[in-house]
Amino acid sequence: MSNELKILLLDDEHIVGKRLKPALEKIGCSVEVFQDPLEAIKRIEEKEFDIVVTDIYMEGMDGMQVLEKVHAKCPKTKIIMITGYAMISLARDAMEKGAFDFIAKPFKPDDLRKIIAKAAEALGSPIDFSASGN
Amino acid sequence: MQGKPGHFSKPSLNRPGFVLFTSHPDGETTINGWIEMETENQQREEKGTDVKNPKTDKESSDFTMKNLYGHMEDIQKAQQTLMARYHFSVRRQIYIGNVVVFLFAALIAVILILNNEQVQTRLEFLEFVNDFSSEIQQARRYEKNYFLYGTNLDDAIENIHLANLIFTKESETFSELQDQVTRQEILKKINAYEALLGELLQNQKADVPLPMNTPHASKEIETRLRGYGQDILASAQSMMTVEKRALERALKRSRDIHIYSIIVLLVILALNSYLLVGRIYSTLNRFASYAQRIASGDFRPILPKRKFRDEFTDLAVAINEMIKEIDTREAVLIQTHKMRAVGTLTAGVAHELNNPLNNIMLTVHMLMEDYHDMPDDERMEMLEDVIKETDRSRKIIRNLLDFARESSSAMESVDLEELLKGTVHLLENQIRLSGISIEIQFTDDLPRIHGDAQKLQQVFVNLLLNAIDASSKGQKIQVMGCLGEKGDSVKVNVVDYGHGIPKHILSSVFDPFFTTKPKGRGTGLGLSVSQGIVAKHGGTIKAKSDKGSGSCFTVILPVITFPEFESFHL
Repeated sequence: MSNELKILLLDDEHIVGKRLKPALEKIGCSVEVFQDPLEAIKRIEEKEFDIVVTDIYMEGMDGMQVLEKVHAKCPKTKIIMITGYAMISLARDAMEKGAFDFIAKPFKPDDLRKIIAKAAEALGSPIDFSASGN
Repeated sequence: MQGKPGHFSKPSLNRPGFVLFTSHPDGETTINGWIEMETENQQREEKGTDVKNPKTDKESSDFTMKNLYGHMEDIQKAQQTLMARYHFSVRRQIYIGNVVVFLFAALIAVILILNNEQVQTRLEFLEFVNDFSSEIQQARRYEKNYFLYGTNLDDAIENIHLANLIFTKESETFSELQDQVTRQEILKKINAYEALLGELLQNQKADVPLPMNTPHASKEIETRLRGYGQDILASAQSMMTVEKRALERALKRSRDIHIYSIIVLLVILALNSYLLVGRIYSTLNRFASYAQRIASGDFRPILPKRKFRDEFTDLAVAINEMIKEIDTREAVLIQTHKMRAVGTLTAGVAHELNNPLNNIMLTVHMLMEDYHDMPDDERMEMLEDVIKETDRSRKIIRNLLDFARESSSAMESVDLEELLKGTVHLLENQIRLSGISIEIQFTDDLPRIHGDAQKLQQVFVNLLLNAIDASSKGQKIQVMGCLGEKGDSVKVNVVDYGHGIPKHILSSVFDPFFTTKPKGRGTGLGLSVSQGIVAKHGGTIKAKSDKGSGSCFTVILPVITFPEFESFHL
């Protein structure tokens, strides 16, 4: 599928990747999951993703740095930030730095799917969200 | 629980959360153990609050209390024993001293009066002896004239009669001064003398020739007369000499009594002042040192030691009351400040808690979505994930609650390295949020110290939170533990490389209510409270800092010896 959305999911909590990968694949995305931000950055250098979903607080490198790197590499890529620390100031920072959206933990898989659908629309390749099998 | 924590007998059960973190950093296997410990702990607490634990009472009589706070029963008991003693006040001592001086002075006065009386009597007696002997001399002179010229016999008789009168009359008055035998003898001789003179007079009247004309007849009378006369005079002379000596002795005694009584009086006064000053001065000194120790955080009551009570006992009782107040207040202050630290830590915990909650949310939602299309083992795996994540949430909260719990203080053997690892674990979220890294380096085989683990943890939480506040993102904090210089203490350095403390305020950082943090962020009590806790452990806390290059806070805790074990006494 040529219009399949390529998503990179980065969160140091392994369960997040484990659950969200099938959840997003069900709406027709191809998902690569990373726990280590450095490995994720390496992958981003190699491959162009449509959407990058990243946690903000991680060991080694934080989400803001990932955001900057992705922007530098590929400005087209939509970036969605995840954090357990739902603070307005943090959200504003992320948005100012060019994040597409911001999602606070804990969230439902559908919350992320909706944001991804919005991002896909913004990218010009809308996905059929209802195809998730719900 | 404010009272006595003595009933926490097993130190390892005392702080279950702490044990949990140190022995099982991943915390996977201790869930059951944890629950048991918790219930045990609760039971004990209930027992402690509702029922009076006999063991607690027993321990309160042991004044080398091993707890840092809550000496209430100790104080109550000390107050009672202090007041139950025999009352011997300073005022009474002053009174007694004065009465002794007065009685002595009165005694001396009586002795001197008696002595003076004696001197006076002797003087009068001397006068009398003098009169008497001059009469006798006169009589003898006339007697001589009579024998030479035949004249003056009447005068002689008159004089000797006078002498006789003086002697019989006055010697009654001075009977105690005279030897009765001598007196009788003198009296006999006077009478004999007088009788002889009377015989001479009769002879004269009977026209017996004058003595110079009848040498043979009167020779005999003359010789006897002279003998008596001489004897009487000699007796009078010797009486006079004896009396003079006695008088001299009496005068000398009077002088001696004056001198010695003054000396003895001076000694009594000096002794009295010495005892009084010693009592007041040494007690005041002791109170000064107590005050200093109380200021340094030693809140044990003053205990009875002397066998009596006095004004200082009232002071000791008042000080004990004050200690009780301060102790309660400090315990409240420490707890209040702890709650502030808990507030700070809560932010980190809230963040940390979102991770397992999110994991549970995602897992449960995916399980619901795909429930029917899923093989059984996958469903099981997801449910296990939920359990694991729930457990993780509980531990995160428990960690904080355990720190926040207002626990009774208990002294136990503490491994500082484990304590600091637990503390860093507690602050993990805070540290992660600040983007700071933390290193713990402890030298091997450090001795354990004796202390209140919870209170000490509070000290290190304060120091680490300060270090985190001072540091910026990417910097590191080092916690280093090693043996103290003399080997009798353990030294823990908390080093940050943050903005540092300017020299001019470095000396004030331990003052209560002193803070450099923006308004509303710091109470200014963290270091003050920490210093109080460390001081109670017989340790010290020091700050070293250079503006711009970070700070180092050093906590030195003694290994075994505890200055607390020497007690206050009065």
